Amino acid sequence: MIPENPEDLHTLAGEYVLGVLDATDESEVAAALATNADLRRAITFWEQRLHPLSELVSPAEPPPDAWQAIEARISQAAPKPPGLRFWDNLALWRWSAAGFAAVAAALALWIVVTPVPGPSFVAVLHPPQQDQAAWVATAGRQGLVVRTLTGAAPPSDRAFELWAIDPAMTRPRSLGVIPPTGELKLTTLPVELREGSTLAISIEPAGGSPTQQPTGPVVFVGTVKAA
Amino acid sequence: MDLRAASRHTVLRHMDSQTTELSSLGVLIEAVGRGSQIALKRLYELESRRLYGIALRIVRRPDIAADVLQEAFVQIWQNAAAFSAERGAAAAWLTGIVRFRALDAVRKHGREVLTDDPTLGDAVLEPDVIEKIDAAAEAGALTRCLKLLDNEQQRCIVLAFVEGLSHSEIAERVNAPLGSVKSWIRRGLLSLRRCLQS
Repeated sequence: MIPENPEDLHTLAGEYVLGVLDATDESEVAAALATNADLRRAITFWEQRLHPLSELVSPAEPPPDAWQAIEARISQAAPKPPGLRFWDNLALWRWSAAGFAAVAAALALWIVVTPVPGPSFVAVLHPPQQDQAAWVATAGRQGLVVRTLTGAAPPSDRAFELWAIDPAMTRPRSLGVIPPTGELKLTTLPVELREGSTLAISIEPAGGSPTQQPTGPVVFVGTVKAA
Repeated sequence: MDLRAASRHTVLRHMDSQTTELSSLGVLIEAVGRGSQIALKRLYELESRRLYGIALRIVRRPDIAADVLQEAFVQIWQNAAAFSAERGAAAAWLTGIVRFRALDAVRKHGREVLTDDPTLGDAVLEPDVIEKIDAAAEAGALTRCLKLLDNEQQRCIVLAFVEGLSHSEIAERVNAPLGSVKSWIRRGLLSLRRCLQS
């Protein structure tokens, strides 16, 4: 349970930043980050305020080949597209390292159980800066299916809305409100959906964003890849 | 220039250089967010020694600390576009990323205790340790507020942050029951926040 009382919330955030929480509590905090702005603010408060303590640590020379290893890694992993700057005010968050295996397993399972004929795309959506797979989207000639892996539900009186962001465009396009079943099907493939574009899910008023643009926090994002 | 003016001059110059560095780190991270590998390399040149030191202090093994540094820079590369002024000072954002990668590594590998290495010892336990924190404005508030805490509270919070120790590891280190350590940290954080906000 993430406390609502501000003092308890700040204490929990402080424990999280110090890194003293056990694995269960820590993953609960990590999961709540996507939807709890107060918690994010509390964590930023502690990261900023405790930061001078890091001056107690002496700098040390990393191994000489460390940069080359980083360079090799980043040339394979493009940074999040600049289109995501649109979401800059969302205080996006760090990931938990735990999710890689879950993503791979979810994908493998999906591909085995749902063969899609023809050229197809797949995207795994996760909370910003976390790796826990939360939604899988598959797209092909028959359209697009987005399905929750975790049973995630929006807060009461709110809805999840799916957006596509083409890297060449500056604004996301709504692909529709996700029904409470946690599965959205489209029979035609939106033009924005291609390799390298981004899918995002935001929290909106019931019925969807009144402005044709996301108005609430983005709680899940993923990149579309050729399957 | 008399002595007082000279010392004031030094302090101001110190603040200037710190301000410049902070804003340039922020500018670099923004450039990284736009996909500039050159900016990432510059960021590495400026920050890798500091960040590697933080990782090494927590994981205590150079090979694992190097992995942590690598993971952290890949994460910085991927998430730089999401960095915004709202996330506060750039240096603290970078430190946060490295600390969490290091804490993940400790959970995965377990912690090596290399107490014979003088650079990884228990210096943080010295009673006057918080005097070593730079007297910059932000640090000034933290130092002042830390000093108001009980010794146990202060020691546990510093140990957790600097060495990345869990509740039970701290209990072992300071030779106190787990429940006491948990409550020292909670009460310490509560007092610290009240003081920092006042």
